[in-house]
Amino acid sequence: MENEDLTPHIEEIKRVLKDKITDEQIHSELNKYLNEYHVGIEPAKRGIIRKYGGDDTHNFGSASIVKKVAELTGAEQNVDLQVKAVFVDNKTISIRGESKQIISGLIGDETGTVSFTVWDPGSLVLTKGDNYTFRNCYCKTFNDKVQVNVGKRGRIEALIGTEIDVPKRELDLSETVVKINEIRDGMNSITLTAKVVSFEERSITVRGEPRTVYSGILADDTGRIQYSAWKNIDVKEGDTVCIKYAYTKAWRGIPQLNIGDRCEVSRVDSDMEIADVDSSKTIAEMCAIGGGLDISIDATIVDLRTGSGLIKRCPTCNRSILNGTCTLHGAVEGIDDLRMKIVVDDGTGALAAIINKADTEKMAKMPFQEALDLAAAYGNDYVEREIASRVLMKRVRMRGNVVSDDYGPSMIVRSIDELKTDVREEAEALLKEMEAVF
Amino acid sequence: MKNRETAWRIFSNELNASVLEIQATEEKGPSYVVTPLGAKVNRVLIAGTLTEKENVGGEEEAMWKGRIQDVSGNYFISVGRYQQEASRAIASIEVPCFVAATGRVKLYTNPETGKTYITVRPEQIVKIDEGLRDAWLLETAKQTWTRLNNFKAASQDPGLKAEDLVKKGSSPAEAEGIIYALEHNDEVPDSMTYIKTLQAALRVLLPDREIDFGLPEDVASMPDEPEVTESMDIQDGHASKRSYGQLEDIILDMLSELDRDGKGAPRDELERRAEAEGISSIELEEISNILMDKGLVYEPNLRYLKRI
Repeated sequence: MENEDLTPHIEEIKRVLKDKITDEQIHSELNKYLNEYHVGIEPAKRGIIRKYGGDDTHNFGSASIVKKVAELTGAEQNVDLQVKAVFVDNKTISIRGESKQIISGLIGDETGTVSFTVWDPGSLVLTKGDNYTFRNCYCKTFNDKVQVNVGKRGRIEALIGTEIDVPKRELDLSETVVKINEIRDGMNSITLTAKVVSFEERSITVRGEPRTVYSGILADDTGRIQYSAWKNIDVKEGDTVCIKYAYTKAWRGIPQLNIGDRCEVSRVDSDMEIADVDSSKTIAEMCAIGGGLDISIDATIVDLRTGSGLIKRCPTCNRSILNGTCTLHGAVEGIDDLRMKIVVDDGTGALAAIINKADTEKMAKMPFQEALDLAAAYGNDYVEREIASRVLMKRVRMRGNVVSDDYGPSMIVRSIDELKTDVREEAEALLKEMEAVF
Repeated sequence: MKNRETAWRIFSNELNASVLEIQATEEKGPSYVVTPLGAKVNRVLIAGTLTEKENVGGEEEAMWKGRIQDVSGNYFISVGRYQQEASRAIASIEVPCFVAATGRVKLYTNPETGKTYITVRPEQIVKIDEGLRDAWLLETAKQTWTRLNNFKAASQDPGLKAEDLVKKGSSPAEAEGIIYALEHNDEVPDSMTYIKTLQAALRVLLPDREIDFGLPEDVASMPDEPEVTESMDIQDGHASKRSYGQLEDIILDMLSELDRDGKGAPRDELERRAEAEGISSIELEEISNILMDKGLVYEPNLRYLKRI
């Protein structure tokens, strides 16, 4: 067999084994299997992959299967598709410093559409609206969406005489005008008018590629929200802007506004009134929304969880450690720290929070040194109980970002203070309300 | 999502009037008590005056019973071996004082009489100052007022579903409780009872204002107190060794004995005698209440108890 014919197979082996094998090794192995032992190409590939520790042999090496777009799971190693090119974009990307031509876009059949990338198009030209057979593709998922990849082994052939009807992409351009406090996870095509509270440009690395992300905080008269954009939306702090066709996604329960490519951002002349920085919420409201930025909550400390009091932290990674052993760095000389893991409750729900050293000292009225001395004299449990007796049932006002996970909402606390309620004033208000009824 | 159960703010009279229970649907799942105003409660945050406490267990295994009094009555608390932190804390609290506690609510039905009793099993209990007690009073009054209004509005709208209430701004938990109470309560709660409680709370918070919602001045009916029975898993209590009937007879005998001048038996002497018989003051109180209910004894005045 000539080397030339083996290229797709070599690519396939490399794709599975990645850097577990060098090109020379593949060549010499294939040579051994095919030319010395006269094994067929498929068993040879399987054998090589097993030998070099690849674990991905189950749907590898077999003949390609034919699927409809909607049937793709993202795990296909060798799949054929008959599709219409819905959108084609020839672009130049740089991979590890080298620029490279690729074709990407959207293909579809009557069951749906999927994005694709041709990694080595050579002289291939795809025309939007034409039909093609994509052969020997492999699929991956990115952000929970399937992507079709055409590698060196893949081929694209014009498909003539077959008509493919792609369902009209449900591009819902009917915009929904929202206020920030109405924003939930997973909304599309929303229009928001808000004031830019902050704007920053950050350089980040996405899969080895430097990219710039533009992000910050927007506010209106109902709240604030974090936004991010992949292109420069050219706004500055203090601008009031109208953003159309934005979508939202939640990070640990906090909805964030994403300004994608099809967003329209325009400046609005009129100045906008924004909500007080402090947006006061009940815990039930936070449970319903899932999370939020810069939330203020008034509640009672109802529990102090174990792991409160004096703890030791790893000097390298700052994680709390047990028995002098960091899960990442092994045996280390821990650094003393003081903290509280509290649960607060306002009668509508409960929320967890971790309180740092300075705030623990303040809330428990226990200077760090006193905690150390007490622990030396009576042990750590005593410190924890002492803190409990000093903070439990205290009413507090906490501010910070609220996030949610499987255990319910928690707050990343920026400030915590004892809540001073003007009981008289509020009692008068309640009395007035009741008198209005009687 | 396993959210922690909310600690409801509920005055003792609303809590103690609860007769509905939603049993846990899965093992170790939460069970709930539903109050007349539709609060679906597993946990409460209560505050008031700890007026009495007693270890009815032993040195080895403490079992504390006690009462926390608020503006509408008493919360009956019991702290057993499963509430270690609260048990440790209550041991060192001296009565009377202001306390706040979080705890699970348990409903107990006497199998003979069918009467229901509510106890709170504190997980945490701490001494608080008057300021915090007032803040709790205010918060509980506000939340009771809201519950009362939501319940009233919902009860005037038959066929209402939990979803409808959520749309109107209730949390899912609030909505479920209201609907459950509307569907299962035989009696419509008397809102005057709760207005009176709110009036009492506001009078404490605003002592110099003359607050009067024009309500009759009779005292709200006192809740039934939980009886100490073996099925409540109270071990080693003196009372459990003798039946209530026996204890009633003992007390009746004492009353005759101590009534030397026809005025009745002086309370303090009665307490001493009962103590000598191994009957605690809480038990004595309970038994006297039972005897009064039965019409066998009465109180000529506060310091005397007299056999009829």
